[in-house]
Amino acid sequence: MALLEVSNLEIAVATGGQLLPVVRGVSFEVKANETFGIVGESGCGKSLTSLAIMGLLEGSQVRITGGSIHFDGRELTALSAEDRRAIMGAQMAMIFQEPMTSLNPVYRIGDQIVETLRQHRDMSRRQARDRAVELLDLVRIPEPGRRIDSFPHQMSGGQRQRVMIAMAMACDPKLLIADEPTTALDVTVQKEVLDLMADLQSRMGTAIVLISHDLGVIAETCDKVAVMYRGKIAESAATGELFSNMCHPYTRGLLNSIPVVDRDVEWLEAIPGRVPTIDEVLSGCAFHPRCAMAEARCESEDPDKRDVATGHTIRCHFAEVGSA
Amino acid sequence: MTSTPLLRVTDLHTHFQTGGGLFAKRSWLKAVNGISFEIRQGEVLSLVGESGCGKSTVGRTLTQLEPSTSGQALFNGADILKMNPAEFRPLRRDIQMIFQDPFASLNPRLSIEQTLTEPLFIHGLAASRAQAREQIAETLERVGMDPRVMQRHPHEFSGGQRQRIGIARVMILKPKLVIADEAVSALDVSIQAQVLNLIKKLQRDSGISMLFISHDLGVVRHISDRVAVMYRGQIVETGDKRQIFETPQHDYTKMLLSSIPRISERVA
Amino acid sequence: MTFIASFLSMFRGRKLAIVGLIWLCIVAFAAIAAPLLAPFDPLEIDPVARLSEPGMPYLFGTDHFGRDSFSRAIYGARMAVIIGLGSVVVALITGGLIGMLSAYFTRLGHVLMRGVDVLMAFPALLLALVLMTLLERSVTNTIIVIGVVYATTTARILFGMTLKLKGEVFVDAAICSGAGHGSVLFRHILPNLISPLLVQASFIFAFAQLQAAALDFLGLGLPPEVASWGNMLSEERIYVTRAPWLLIFPGALIILSVFSMNLVGDAMRDSIDPRFKDDIAGV
Repeated sequence: MALLEVSNLEIAVATGGQLLPVVRGVSFEVKANETFGIVGESGCGKSLTSLAIMGLLEGSQVRITGGSIHFDGRELTALSAEDRRAIMGAQMAMIFQEPMTSLNPVYRIGDQIVETLRQHRDMSRRQARDRAVELLDLVRIPEPGRRIDSFPHQMSGGQRQRVMIAMAMACDPKLLIADEPTTALDVTVQKEVLDLMADLQSRMGTAIVLISHDLGVIAETCDKVAVMYRGKIAESAATGELFSNMCHPYTRGLLNSIPVVDRDVEWLEAIPGRVPTIDEVLSGCAFHPRCAMAEARCESEDPDKRDVATGHTIRCHFAEVGSA
Repeated sequence: MTSTPLLRVTDLHTHFQTGGGLFAKRSWLKAVNGISFEIRQGEVLSLVGESGCGKSTVGRTLTQLEPSTSGQALFNGADILKMNPAEFRPLRRDIQMIFQDPFASLNPRLSIEQTLTEPLFIHGLAASRAQAREQIAETLERVGMDPRVMQRHPHEFSGGQRQRIGIARVMILKPKLVIADEAVSALDVSIQAQVLNLIKKLQRDSGISMLFISHDLGVVRHISDRVAVMYRGQIVETGDKRQIFETPQHDYTKMLLSSIPRISERVA
Repeated sequence: MTFIASFLSMFRGRKLAIVGLIWLCIVAFAAIAAPLLAPFDPLEIDPVARLSEPGMPYLFGTDHFGRDSFSRAIYGARMAVIIGLGSVVVALITGGLIGMLSAYFTRLGHVLMRGVDVLMAFPALLLALVLMTLLERSVTNTIIVIGVVYATTTARILFGMTLKLKGEVFVDAAICSGAGHGSVLFRHILPNLISPLLVQASFIFAFAQLQAAALDFLGLGLPPEVASWGNMLSEERIYVTRAPWLLIFPGALIILSVFSMNLVGDAMRDSIDPRFKDDIAGV
């Protein structure tokens, strides 16, 4: 039984009196101690999916219009706001891209961790503070006993992201959602943060959902990957399978678009056209205007999900393993 | 390629005053702290490094957006750092800059035609609106845009299209040196590849020299002939692209290269 | 056409602001068509009908000279619009230029903005009083004084906004294209300041009404024979118990107009560029 089961998730944005679907029929599951990666370009729906799991869409223009999110034996879409709050922060936690804006600049970092702890655990101030020092040590902040009284602006970007991870891990959550956690960081710091997340996972058995636009980050950290395009999962498989038997023309295009550091490529095989905006209406397969394999059928008929290998599903009429 | 470099920078310093006032002690941030490099005709030199290393300040200093503290930058033999704004203005045509953020680098109030006409008139490259329009149409086509978009305003375009317009603004002047500051960093992967190919093609076709400033080592490897690695205001290693990526000498370069997440490791 | 459409779209869902806008249209119409609307000459004295009550033919009654209050109120609207627009023009041009140039040329800014700071140290009304005592009472001088008073706040606000715009990448891009100072300031920066300037103008217009009324009331503003709402209040204030309508009508007109202008200004401010929301807080 998986820890998190998302099935047929539908999310829509309300604009000008109409509902624009932005996430359509997304299903996946994540087990304990597993890292699930969602990769895609801007507007593909990856961040909205993660916000939906965290229950952070309420009260905005965006809402869940269908499907279910099952977490640890409970249906999240049916929970009351109060029950959700009890789960958020304690059993599932989230870290965001920009560590400066997600920490409150007027409070010392220690106080922010203590507050999170006391919200969910029956702890005295003293105990919570000791635990906060432990957590900072866990995320490898040097001299945690002294740094606990620092303000966010006194720390570097990498340190702030580690504080965010410490806060997220404060109550030993079963699930950690990381939305572009290293995008704002330098490569050397990114490596440290990713290593730290992997280390914490192996110690605590946390399940991680990692959202990223960077195929390299996904390849290095995830066990399973879903590639999203225009609100749907175009291709999904175990990481090794996906990168060695890439099927979907979009996934292949994405990979070929990345300039690599280890060899020289004269010209990149770019995907033509542009990333569609959410208000564009596309018939059939959403990728067909940019796809080299597209035929008449792709224009009219949206491909269903199908298996090409064990645990390897794609949404494409034509692609097969090894057809590239 | 000729042997005399188009641009030779020697011991460039750009420092910013960070503290100081009536009573406080002055303090300085040494953003660029003594760097030297040269760019030959038709060559692409990349300046690579992490945030805060001073790479962007180098570009801004060479375009006189920031004043230099000391040093020399000989462009075709003339020291551009010593020039006053009036002396430098004619050279702005030759030294052009592509900016990172395609959403911020176009004036939201001006149409594409107005944006592209301005540099032509300033440098006396078009005598009439009709002439300007002709050149704009031609340049837009070169960057892969439909010339009919001229009348539109920036908000009507996607990030990738805006960056193409930004490139058109640069190319329309037929510059000798283009400074590209994180020119593709804000773009989605699939769009980044298109724009990167475009920049490479335009550079090849017109034989311009380029200073390509980036934090992305993959992009740097793709576009450059030579690479200079910057760390804390200084260049720690300069070399041929191959040499930097395959046999890096400096520990910092090695660390940078080993930090990049790679796809190949998992596939193998 | 699109300008009008976008202007009207600012008022969507703001009923009170629409009422304000309608009132201002009425005032503007009265100002333009004053000679046609006013039943009497505002200066014509009818000693027989002094201090008559509102009714026919004197809608708002007559003052202690026997002049028709309704006609004076209509010509007062004309004066209100002239004072308001004049002050806005003076304040925006002088204050706007000082603010923009100070932000753009840093060294000049050190000098100019210190001067602005000194002027801002005086309360607006006190500054206006001091300046007015030095000058003759006239429409032009009143406009200049009120304009100068609000030029200081305009300069402050535009200083901040220009500093922000000066840091925008498109300004750097224009400089790199070879654009000179004039082109950067007036072609690239100024057009981006138009909507905040409009909002600023609406607040100055409203506050100018209050300032002008206060100056009139203190006998330092417009010459006493000019029909303005402030003068009407000032001249008839001793008759407040005998003929309260002589104060109620012009007083209500001032309050209504200032309130309406503020409502319209608020609606405009809330719909402008979010970058500048913090800068404009009213005068």
